[in-house]
Amino acid sequence: MAAREVLFKCLNCGHEYPGMFDMDHITERVCPKCRSNSVRRLPMPKTAKK
Amino acid sequence: MMDVGRHPNVELMSFSEVEAVSGFVGNFHVTIRKKARYVNPDECTSCGECAKVCPVAKPDEYQQGFSSRKAIYLPFPQAVPSSYILNMDDCLGNNPIACGKCAEVCEKKCIDYDDQDKLVNVEVGVVIVATGMDVYDPTEYDEYGYTRFDNVITSMEFERLICAGGPTEGHFMRPTDRKQPRSIGFIQCVGSRSQDGRGNPYCSNICCMNTVKDTLLLCDHYPGVDIKVFYMDIRAFGKGFEDLYMRSKAEGVKYVRGIPGDVIEDSQTKNLTLTVENTTTGKLEKHELEMLVLSQGVIPRQDGDKIRQLMTLSTTSDGFIMESHPKLKPVDAPTKGVYIAGCVESPKDVKDSVTQASAAAARASILLNAGKTKIEAITSQINGDLCNYCGVCAKVCPYNAIIAPDKKIRKLPVIISAACAGCGACAAECTQDAIFMNHFRDEQILAQIDAILAVNPHKQLVTFACNWCSYAGGDMAGTSRLQYPTTCRLIRTMCSGRVDEKFILRAFRLGAPMVLVSGCHFADCHYISAVQWTQKRMDRLWSKLDKLGIRADRLQLEWISAAEGQKFAKVMRDMEAKLATVTMAEIEHTMKVLAEDEENEKAKKAGKSGAETVEVSS
Repeated sequence: MAAREVLFKCLNCGHEYPGMFDMDHITERVCPKCRSNSVRRLPMPKTAKK
Repeated sequence: MMDVGRHPNVELMSFSEVEAVSGFVGNFHVTIRKKARYVNPDECTSCGECAKVCPVAKPDEYQQGFSSRKAIYLPFPQAVPSSYILNMDDCLGNNPIACGKCAEVCEKKCIDYDDQDKLVNVEVGVVIVATGMDVYDPTEYDEYGYTRFDNVITSMEFERLICAGGPTEGHFMRPTDRKQPRSIGFIQCVGSRSQDGRGNPYCSNICCMNTVKDTLLLCDHYPGVDIKVFYMDIRAFGKGFEDLYMRSKAEGVKYVRGIPGDVIEDSQTKNLTLTVENTTTGKLEKHELEMLVLSQGVIPRQDGDKIRQLMTLSTTSDGFIMESHPKLKPVDAPTKGVYIAGCVESPKDVKDSVTQASAAAARASILLNAGKTKIEAITSQINGDLCNYCGVCAKVCPYNAIIAPDKKIRKLPVIISAACAGCGACAAECTQDAIFMNHFRDEQILAQIDAILAVNPHKQLVTFACNWCSYAGGDMAGTSRLQYPTTCRLIRTMCSGRVDEKFILRAFRLGAPMVLVSGCHFADCHYISAVQWTQKRMDRLWSKLDKLGIRADRLQLEWISAAEGQKFAKVMRDMEAKLATVTMAEIEHTMKVLAEDEENEKAKKAGKSGAETVEVSS
């Protein structure tokens, strides 16, 4: 699976930022604002059905 | 190398690649591809007649492209085995109309155009990985003009030019006019200790002393030549290295503390002018040189991923292979029976490589001579009655220690105890609780959670800490006398990968206001990639908490190394601050929701097993 851009949210300070995510190559996440690792990949918004 | 080639106990397979590795300590099955040489090494006498008649000329890789080789060639002088090799990509072919001249002149008739790769299977007890490193390509440092100016060369190219066996037979000359340069500069740390996004952040270890050695060689061969070394630090640690550095200075080599920002070439003379800030004097200086050597750093092997995957090895953030323990097991890989030696582990010089290789050989021989090995008590086991053959356990195992089940023939997964390192990721991922980990069973960990939350649960910080890093980080905080909240309650697991979803949910259900999962940084994971499963599981859990209407930020995740006592204390203080934001009403709501969820899950499971029973009986 190719890497795709997703939104991350820091559960320590609440900072949200975009980043690349690849299910096959999970990398260490660090909040750029507070350096916490409690960074959650936010679920993708569901696309509307045609 | 000659000694290795002649040793009765060593079988040397040159020009070969490892294709596949299976098995475990004491029982590795290795498939090796012996590539076609098109020349019989047993018959070839290295007379060189074939190369003389070969009409093809290609840049000689060994000589860094300064001279040419033929399509049939000796890879390098003193090659073992001392046999020619035919590069079929360069060869014109054996069609007499096209060529075939080498075969005509070979008296021993050892050239075989139809030679093919051969796959060889060997059984070995241990494996030592010593695949070396690559050198950094300085092309991206455009300001040094490596691709624009012929008189700018790398330290590897310098080696060939100064070597008696090199293309110039040791007569050092600059490429543009083939004259001996009267002034030579060296720029250190090219591609090393870089923080600007180019090159690598680590020190390449060997470049400083390599340059000192090069300057002494030049002083010895060409007295009076003007030599300048541009550096940020000279790292001359090691036996006799400082003396060598002092000797170089005493010979008249000028060491300028500053890295040039710009190199300009004079189009007439082809001389080079460097602009550099001398940080010792604080002045901007210009230096005119006839030749410039870029002291390039070293990098992990670019084709090293394959061997890393085959041997289930992990790498540090800089890409070199990670050892099992930096102090206590510096030559052991995390996979049992696999050892590492040389630059595959980190940049190092010949002496250190030989030391490490000797240590790896000694470690390997201990195991081989013993003929048996102790298995860790902390390994996983299967409960066949609960397994649903999903195969997740085999998928998550970083050591390939689980043979996948087969649902069609009702074959249960098999755990190879000798290969299992005891991370517990399989036990945590198994949805059926069909895997248990000795000494870290679900019941044992759940009992700890229950005990922690038996009294005043709303005041406890439940923290899961991995044995190797986070728990040791807590120790470090303690021994460093750092202050952190006394409400912190640690539960030790071997790896954060062992922290099951149900442990966290149990803690919340019993009234824990906050839960922290902590483990090793990805690059430090003692179980190769088990920590990645922790991250995936946490993503799942955060989503689940959201769905249940529980604040996701009540579950925190932190990677804390054994040296990060400060971080451990800070995280605990942050957790304490967050704990104050969790109200009793919120805790009670969480307990209620999770109790209901647990009931629903139980009912679902009961329903499923009922349905299965009906299906079987019908």
